[in-house]
Amino acid sequence: MLSKLLKYEIKATGRVFLPLFLALLAFAGITRLIALIGQQQWDTPVAISLLIYGFIMVAMFVMTFVTMIQRFYRNLLADEGYLMHTLPVKPWQHIVAKLLISMFWIVVSGIVAFISILILALERGDLRDIVASVAPFLRRVLDQFGNWTYLFSLEMLIGSFLTLASGILLIYASMAIGHLFRKHRMLASFGAFIGLNTLSQILFGILIKIPKIAPFAGMPMNADEFQAQLPIIQEYVIYGIALSVLFCTIYFAVTQYILSKRLNLE
Amino acid sequence: MPWELKSDRPIYSQLIEQIELKIFSSVYPLGSKLPSVRDMAQEAAVNPNTMQRALAKLEEDGLIITHRTSGRTVTEDAGMVQKAKTQLAREQITEFLEKMQLIGFEQDEIITIFNNMVKEMGK
Amino acid sequence: MSVILECNGLTKTFGSKTALSDINLKIELGQIVGLLGPNGSGKSTLIKLANKLLTPTRGNILIGGQEPGIETKKIVSYLPERTYLNDWMRVHQIIELFTDFYQDFKPEKAYDMLKNLNINADDRLKTMSKGTKEKVQLILVMSREAELYFLDEPIGGVDPAARDYILKTIISNYNEKATVIISTHLIADIENILDSVVFINQGQIVLTSTVDEIRDEKGKSVDDLFREVFKC
Repeated sequence: MLSKLLKYEIKATGRVFLPLFLALLAFAGITRLIALIGQQQWDTPVAISLLIYGFIMVAMFVMTFVTMIQRFYRNLLADEGYLMHTLPVKPWQHIVAKLLISMFWIVVSGIVAFISILILALERGDLRDIVASVAPFLRRVLDQFGNWTYLFSLEMLIGSFLTLASGILLIYASMAIGHLFRKHRMLASFGAFIGLNTLSQILFGILIKIPKIAPFAGMPMNADEFQAQLPIIQEYVIYGIALSVLFCTIYFAVTQYILSKRLNLE
Repeated sequence: MPWELKSDRPIYSQLIEQIELKIFSSVYPLGSKLPSVRDMAQEAAVNPNTMQRALAKLEEDGLIITHRTSGRTVTEDAGMVQKAKTQLAREQITEFLEKMQLIGFEQDEIITIFNNMVKEMGK
Repeated sequence: MSVILECNGLTKTFGSKTALSDINLKIELGQIVGLLGPNGSGKSTLIKLANKLLTPTRGNILIGGQEPGIETKKIVSYLPERTYLNDWMRVHQIIELFTDFYQDFKPEKAYDMLKNLNINADDRLKTMSKGTKEKVQLILVMSREAELYFLDEPIGGVDPAARDYILKTIISNYNEKATVIISTHLIADIENILDSVVFINQGQIVLTSTVDEIRDEKGKSVDDLFREVFKC
């Protein structure tokens, strides 16, 4: 059932994003082309094209945010909810489907944006130059962190995804809480958002103070000391990930509870 | 013959009457196969359960026969049909006579008016 | 005969407001039942509870002996009063969706009914009139081979010809292994196809009876009785 929901969700959202992606890439291409073949008098068209490109870029990122909210609200909390909630599907599957697809589009938007910038600005020798300047940096990182590099990179990736997920789930939970109110649902959702955020910060602050982690004394002065302190950094990273997971779980649980036990469609 | 169902009498009894009339007037001829319960219910725009019960009653009365494999047919027994027709006539006449008496007519008055009307209608 | 819908002391309150109070009901398979009552009587609440769109405050509601959940959603087909389909979809896409999620959905039936009602499967819902959208929703619900159907105002917004078609479809869809519960105001139009009726008012059941019992005992149609019972 989950895969079917994902399929359906992609279809519903793809109609919005694919045209935007195409438009973004197109205008990046157009701007680049005009800039390449044109001379002085082509400055204005280039500027216009660039402006449009800029608008589309902004629109694209705004849409990822708007779509994320709209899909959840319209599809699960408004009239379409009559269809969705009578499908033989558990509420958690609905939440997961929307969460995954929202994350998917955010990541893809980022990639498309990056590619469009490459189209726009990449010059002949650029790639070589970039690789040339990045390489020594990477080498230094590898020297400092050794094998931990790969682990840390992986953890950074996981951490980013979890942070993204918890952000989205926070919004879902806020909307779900807002749904509990008969009147002023929007206001209630905002209030819930702020409330949840604040509570999370407080919880975070408390948990951080728990002396489970050995206090990290000072910054690494030199390579030797740094190597020794890597395991401690690792603990911090793991701890951070665990906290993200905790928050994701809490927001998810709240949303799932409201959708299954406190649903009240008009 | 379209189905005419009044809203203040049980549908069940009306269906029985209407099916009987259709049999009497050969809309469903003797020995003919009846449409399925569902089709008849659709045609009459009534609940299939009610139609089913009406047909069951008519079967009880001998006007309809259910064959295990081939559905329902009208009886081939003309005598049976004639009996039912006569029964219906008797019921109608009884109702009529009772009403006439209620209005205050004597028997011979009723018969006179009746004969006159039959003559008029014959013309 | 087995009981497909059962309510035991079913109560639903929203804050201080009681929508349903101590409902006790048993409906068997193979029935077409009218759920009749004025606005705000609790009809929609009862139907939503059966579909797990609401949860009981007290008591319980059972579909085929089970509490509402995934298993009951598989055998219940619900037509809500509102338009619940997303506008951007084409009719055939929504048929694909139903085919995907419901094992008992029969697309051939749906396409057949669409043809009979002159609705183009390629049209987007967005371009349809409200009446046509309602017909599409009804077709989707009736194309499932469910055990329990809930039709909330199925003939309200459609023209008389379509109304007849819809009633005929409900009759032809009838089978002893399914029950249809129709909630409506247009009693006179559907009374002939009902086995029995449940009158509900202010969250409580006021009357349950077969249609013929009412006509027999009270010498009037269900519609007339309704007007009498719910006189303003």
